Amino acid sequence: MLGQVLFSGLALGSIYGLVALGFVVIFKATDVFNFAQGMFVVCGAYLAVTAISLLGLPFPVAVLFIVAVAALMGMGIHALLIRPLSGRPILSIIMLTIALSIVLRALIEIVYGPAGRTLASPLPSGSFAFAGLRISQLHLTAALVSWFCMITFGLFFRFTSAGLLMRAAADSHEAATISGVRVDAMNRLAWAIGFTLAAIGGLFLGQLQIVSTELESIGLLALPAVVIGGLQSIPGAILGGLLVGIIEQLASTYISPKSSDVVIYALLLAILLLRPWGLLGQKAVNRV
Amino acid sequence: MSDLAAPKPEAAAAAPTSGKLRRAALLALGLAVLLYIPVLLTDRSIFGIRLTNMQLLNLGLTQINLMLISMLGALSLNYLTGCAGLISIGHAAFYATGAMAAAIFGTQLGWPFPVVLMMAAIAGAAVGVLAGLPSLRVQGLYFVLSTMAVHYLVSFVFLEYQFRFFDVVGIPFGTPSLGGFDLNTPMRWYFFLLVLVALVYVGLSNTLRTREGRALLAMRDHERAVTSLGVDVRVLRIKAFGLSSAIAAVAGALYAYYLSNATSETFGINFAIQFIAMIIIGGMGSLRGALIGAAVWLLLPSVIAGFAAEIGRGPGIVGSLLGEHRAQLVQLIFGVLVIVLLIFAPGGLVSLGERLKGLIGFRRKG
Repeated sequence: MLGQVLFSGLALGSIYGLVALGFVVIFKATDVFNFAQGMFVVCGAYLAVTAISLLGLPFPVAVLFIVAVAALMGMGIHALLIRPLSGRPILSIIMLTIALSIVLRALIEIVYGPAGRTLASPLPSGSFAFAGLRISQLHLTAALVSWFCMITFGLFFRFTSAGLLMRAAADSHEAATISGVRVDAMNRLAWAIGFTLAAIGGLFLGQLQIVSTELESIGLLALPAVVIGGLQSIPGAILGGLLVGIIEQLASTYISPKSSDVVIYALLLAILLLRPWGLLGQKAVNRV
Repeated sequence: MSDLAAPKPEAAAAAPTSGKLRRAALLALGLAVLLYIPVLLTDRSIFGIRLTNMQLLNLGLTQINLMLISMLGALSLNYLTGCAGLISIGHAAFYATGAMAAAIFGTQLGWPFPVVLMMAAIAGAAVGVLAGLPSLRVQGLYFVLSTMAVHYLVSFVFLEYQFRFFDVVGIPFGTPSLGGFDLNTPMRWYFFLLVLVALVYVGLSNTLRTREGRALLAMRDHERAVTSLGVDVRVLRIKAFGLSSAIAAVAGALYAYYLSNATSETFGINFAIQFIAMIIIGGMGSLRGALIGAAVWLLLPSVIAGFAAEIGRGPGIVGSLLGEHRAQLVQLIFGVLVIVLLIFAPGGLVSLGERLKGLIGFRRKG
């Protein structure tokens, strides 16, 4: 029983980690605490519905379609909404992302209708027994793909020159600008990556559940995940995502199905009070 | 007080007294309109001339009453966020606290309504102080998240409470009575709420004019400068939180009474978000803005519904938008409105009004 719960917790946690990673990339680059990240997940799920069910694209092409549109949407949001508001107070930016998610939700419900849809894809959906556990192939695939994306992004961020420029831009906008980094382009790239990672998460969450705008609340679990892990930390986001996934499964199995939110947010509150910089984040020093 | 206020009468005396007269006249006119509104919306005719539904913008007294209740929430949030600079995304938690207090003391214990409201305020202030405690340790974004965490904690308590003593339908609330005066018609509710909103508005704007209120505004603008002037910002923050959440809790209790039912789903995170939207639409940091924002947020959907009924369910995109997707259309309009205001007029509709006044040169002399 416990092993089964841990397995699904780890699998779901990997998806949350992926979404949370997208969140942190956006936050590091542009200091935007993105409440629309949950809606980005929903967008990903509906892009999958569009590509697979409505357009009938073959699966690899559909994935390319999802990634391309998601990246474009991320860039568009940065150029149209985020850049004009840079340097504004934190509430304006938070509210902008909330309003953005309201608009996206309304648009999706107008275009696709408010009822949920099922998403079928050629990904394996059976299950097999392994070491006494029933392993759902879809969960396993989701976890593996999430890890693949996270590792790819980690390598990109660490070893490529574009990744270096992104890190430089995130570290200090001024210093990077002086050194000739096109900070604006880097920020746009960060939004494209953030949206894409969320959309991939949406592709899987949409298959594990029903595609509807209610997926937003699952996507929003990335928020506590990043804070628990450490807002500025990329490994922290992944760790936070895994923790949130495991805690969610444990709480809803052993306490009550409705208690998972409260347990996660109680942990968040504890972290905020005891270690506000998160498990893996760096303590920011405030000089007076 | 008297030395500070001294220059003012001189300035007023130097200006023509017609300004004062005009203000008094405007106040009287406003009062008359406020007193006439419920009659107008109940009789649906003006001086004996019948008005169509559309001429009344499809408004009813129920919407106006809900607007007044929301005004309390918007005022309390704007006091906290706009004036004290403390962002709360979990303001629904205080609404839920108020509704819960009303359920315990009103529905379960059967205490008189004014006492129940008092208890709701006390409970709200207590939870607000607790929710404000993280502000001693964390700031900015982290504090926002702590209010969100408080929201989930309170929602969970509400859920447990609801299912322990009531059922899935929710908590029922009886007709409140103010010492024999039953609040059983929209008209009676209207006058009760109108007085309450006016009291809270005047109370808050007076608070902002005291030493502590000015310290609050200064804390929002520059925390360290205020600290260096000997103000303990920690106490100030907790006090602001307590006051704001007490008002929100009263609004929550009233909301539950008005709808005569409350469930754990009533006060979700979206409930809190709509108040943030209201103060952004109206104008951050302006109490008048809170009133305007609440009015826009609560009345616009009904106006749009009125237009939809007028135009009818035509074919094509417009018809489907106004028909089956009207709820989404309203959300879309609000979302776009918030985004546009944030980008082009961060001061909300109030600042737009000021700018407009400046453009036409309609400004008082001096």
